[in-house]
Amino acid sequence: MNRPGSVTPGREGSSGSISRDPSIILSSRAGISRNLSNYKFPSSSSNEEKNQVINMIKSSTRRTEGLRELCCLRLNRMTRVQRQVILSDYQIEEDFISSLKGRALMVFPRSSIRDTATAIPLCWDDHLKIQCAAPGNTISMVYEKASGIEKIFETKLNFSFSSQWGYLTSNPASLGTALEISLLVHMPALAISPGIAEFIKNLSRVGCAISGYSDSSPEATGNIFRISSSRTLGKSEEEIVEEMNAICLNIVDGEKSARRELLKKDRLGAKDNVYRSYGLLKYARILSFEEALELLSILRLGLDLGIMGKIRDFDYFEIINMVGDAHVISSFEMDDKASEDEIDLKRAGLIRDIILKD
Amino acid sequence: MTCDFCKKNIATVHLIRVQNDNVEKVNICSECARSFSFFTQDDFYKDLSNILSRIFQSEQGTIYEGSLHDPLGKIDTHKNRSCPFCGTDLKSIKKKGRMGCPHCYSEFRSILLPIVKDIHTDIVYRGKIPQNVPRQVKLEKSISDLRKRLKREIIVENFEEAARIRDEIRQLEKNIYE
Repeated sequence: MNRPGSVTPGREGSSGSISRDPSIILSSRAGISRNLSNYKFPSSSSNEEKNQVINMIKSSTRRTEGLRELCCLRLNRMTRVQRQVILSDYQIEEDFISSLKGRALMVFPRSSIRDTATAIPLCWDDHLKIQCAAPGNTISMVYEKASGIEKIFETKLNFSFSSQWGYLTSNPASLGTALEISLLVHMPALAISPGIAEFIKNLSRVGCAISGYSDSSPEATGNIFRISSSRTLGKSEEEIVEEMNAICLNIVDGEKSARRELLKKDRLGAKDNVYRSYGLLKYARILSFEEALELLSILRLGLDLGIMGKIRDFDYFEIINMVGDAHVISSFEMDDKASEDEIDLKRAGLIRDIILKD
Repeated sequence: MTCDFCKKNIATVHLIRVQNDNVEKVNICSECARSFSFFTQDDFYKDLSNILSRIFQSEQGTIYEGSLHDPLGKIDTHKNRSCPFCGTDLKSIKKKGRMGCPHCYSEFRSILLPIVKDIHTDIVYRGKIPQNVPRQVKLEKSISDLRKRLKREIIVENFEEAARIRDEIRQLEKNIYE
């Protein structure tokens, strides 16, 4: 677990120019879904059948070069908080733990938050979902990694495949390549610019799905959006990767020009907003996760625009992965039943420790 | 940016709604936002979705339209039948939004075709193929890939390369039947 003391606060001060590559693409993720041929999909299987599939997959990883390090986590023996920490560290949607029976999670252990997070949820929607996530624009890398793991599994397991439909999945929406590339994007300037509506419309026109940061809330808390490729038929894996790379560049361009526009049109307003957020983060004693994200987003923007120098530089993605309820509870070894106020109090202190200069 | 509702205060809350192809943006000042709900400062962020639904419900129904999230909801179950392999019937596929097993795809092929076309717009598989599929499937896939390339070369009038690809296709086609 990440102890609050082990945090590297980042580099001092801000380099203060808009040309500096701002933290826009927070993280990239590739997910490849597969099912064993001649077995029912998880949604229509009994727990016994699912456990049989899980055991088959588990035993295929033993003594297999490249899969041997995978460890299978027993979700039902973990506490609620431990489960949530794992899900957030490996960027797995909360829906996966909506049921614990007949499901398992295999992960490659990792030592730092900056490492690639590779996890394989078993018997969720499909028998396996090979998922790799890494910070920054790393689309090609995470795809190669997930695809490499899939290739090794392929030597041990028979996946259901049809030459007409491609890889068969329980949901026809992922039929075909069964590959989903998704990006976690921080676009604070674009989100308030008049061009945002058209921008999102264009994204959905090219077949991207857009959602907020957390699956439970529809809004983009902390100006973070998850943008995912949604078409899996009619395109090869390479085309999907290439397209998402192009979309990535578009997003960065869009956000950068929105930032330039913001500085040109309302520099004072932007500065005022950044300093107000600074004031709140510096003095507030209880901070909810959502409020913290909103304020940190604006401070991050302030650093990127070079209009805020009072705080330490920080990595927005790293910090949001540390200040969620589950992470706060586990870092401070709090009681699982800690009250909201207690968590909010610790969170506010943790953020002050990371961002405020002495 | 001024508030879309009172047109006086500065908007501090910006909401975006995406519904299929339509995107709408709402800018609200904190005062107006509060008047939509029984907010305390605490609930403020949690309640944004409530405000959004209130605003849009009054105008045009609910926030999200389910059609894209539930493509199998369109299945006509008047002539209900089951997959001989897993026993899942059309009614349950429609209800769960999930197919029962890999065999359901061939069993309910004609019913699925229009639905899959709706979701993906294209229904031709162009991805990679597994190592362990029969030789014929691999050859068919290589031929269809080559045909695609052939078309492209003809469009750019690279006839020399096109002729080479044509010969390669012929060779592969011969292989299939040998």
